Amino acid sequence: MTAIETRNLTKHFRDVAAIDDVSLSFAEGRVHGLLGRNGAGKTTLMKLLTGQIFATSGEMRVLGQSPLENPQVLAQTCFIQESQKYPDGFRPLDVLRIAEGLYPAWDQELARELIADFRLPEKRAIKKLSRGQLSAVGIILGLASRAPLTFFDEPYLGLDAVARRLFFDHLLADFADHPRTVILSTHHIDEVSNLLEHVVLLDEGRVAISEEAETLQNAAIEVSGRRDEVMAFTAGADVLHLQEIGSLATSTLHAEPGSVERARAAGLQVAPVSLQNYIVHRTTAAAAAPVA
Amino acid sequence: MRSRNVIDMHLVNRMQAFGWPLIAVAFALAIMLAVGAIVGSRGPEAQAEMYYGLQWNGAIFALLGPLIGYGFTSMGQYFPLALGLGLTRREFATGLSVVFLGNAVIYSVLITVGKTIEKATEGFGLSIRFFDVFYTSTGAPWQTLLQTFLLILTVLFLGAAITAAVLRFGQVFLWVAAAILALIGLGILSGVLLLDGFGRALLDVLTMGWGPWMVAIAVIGAVSAGAWLVLVRRTQVS
Repeated sequence: MTAIETRNLTKHFRDVAAIDDVSLSFAEGRVHGLLGRNGAGKTTLMKLLTGQIFATSGEMRVLGQSPLENPQVLAQTCFIQESQKYPDGFRPLDVLRIAEGLYPAWDQELARELIADFRLPEKRAIKKLSRGQLSAVGIILGLASRAPLTFFDEPYLGLDAVARRLFFDHLLADFADHPRTVILSTHHIDEVSNLLEHVVLLDEGRVAISEEAETLQNAAIEVSGRRDEVMAFTAGADVLHLQEIGSLATSTLHAEPGSVERARAAGLQVAPVSLQNYIVHRTTAAAAAPVA
Repeated sequence: MRSRNVIDMHLVNRMQAFGWPLIAVAFALAIMLAVGAIVGSRGPEAQAEMYYGLQWNGAIFALLGPLIGYGFTSMGQYFPLALGLGLTRREFATGLSVVFLGNAVIYSVLITVGKTIEKATEGFGLSIRFFDVFYTSTGAPWQTLLQTFLLILTVLFLGAAITAAVLRFGQVFLWVAAAILALIGLGILSGVLLLDGFGRALLDVLTMGWGPWMVAIAVIGAVSAGAWLVLVRRTQVS
């Protein structure tokens, strides 16, 4: 089953195409990564899919229906955005109480557990919370909502490493017990790479990659050694990145069948490329490519 | 009834919803009582003059003022949260309309009760006028109830409509609105100075009876509510 499907989806802000002819599908019951540089269009895409903004053109189906002004869809959709603003005087307690009335599958017990784990001062005014505590409010809301479709847009800005680990552990544990569709947008790609099953990379509003995470994690290799040997080995290969230091060089290239063995036979050192580095290289390579 | 959550949101900050308006009223009333006591000490003639003059006393705007801000806040702060929590614009509009109606009922009843007490006690024993003034009607209590209800509802919808327009069109709306208001002001001033009979006609309009004024307020309120309902359906959260 498909949780989200878009066809030629476009969103313009005046003359800027924030989302440009995007056709995508996200399968149900999986954790998807929505990646890309700042301004790539990730938040815009999530806002479109949750009916917060209107598309300029194109189609979208969320849980089989249009999300626009659709309470059936929106009651099953939770969007945690890093830029969420709260009215004056609101406390985490108030936000969570209201959310409880809006999400049919809300788990109050889980909410209490998360409040304790994140050490969230639930009775303190939200305006007085630190950036990390504010992120914790969103994380608790997103997890306790148990919404069949949950969007996390940079959910852990300002959170320390311990709290980020807490988020991953809770997400994984709760996802195992209550499978649902999660769309996770983040710049901390390596931290979530083990969680992701499918990855979409947006670049300047367009889809650069839509691929299984496992495929991407094996998509490239890094070879290093003497500069002339590296250059000889990579001649004609699809090189994503090349770094030279004196007589040494390191090259990241798309992995072909047998390329690891050939590199080792050529006396080069071979290392895997992390998902984060692969995404960085792909984005950088796309930016550096000459315009046709 | 997910719209109920919009009402719940507005009741979270009880100080904003009820506390500050009531404190502002109490503070303004306390000042008026002090004025009444001071003037009363100067004799019955001064007291009578004060009673007559206070029918144009604007201290009641200590209550109406915060309510104008309430309309702005509802659209500016509660609308983004409502959409963020998955409410539709229609659900938000329904819930907020109920909130506005509730506010108008509560505060118009409060003012009417205040006026009734004020009249029964001859200005709280000090010959002051706080609730029984031109802006809340100096007529019968039912007129005060209707006038304040319409006035409060109108300012709430007007505030919401202005904020919705700012969210929809940005700063351009404010500049255009300010320019139009300035042009209207300039037109009226020019008419008074340059056109024979314009000033008289304007005065006739401004001194029209209570009924026509209520119709005028109701029309402004209805137009504001209509504009807000149209705008909110196309408002995006940036």
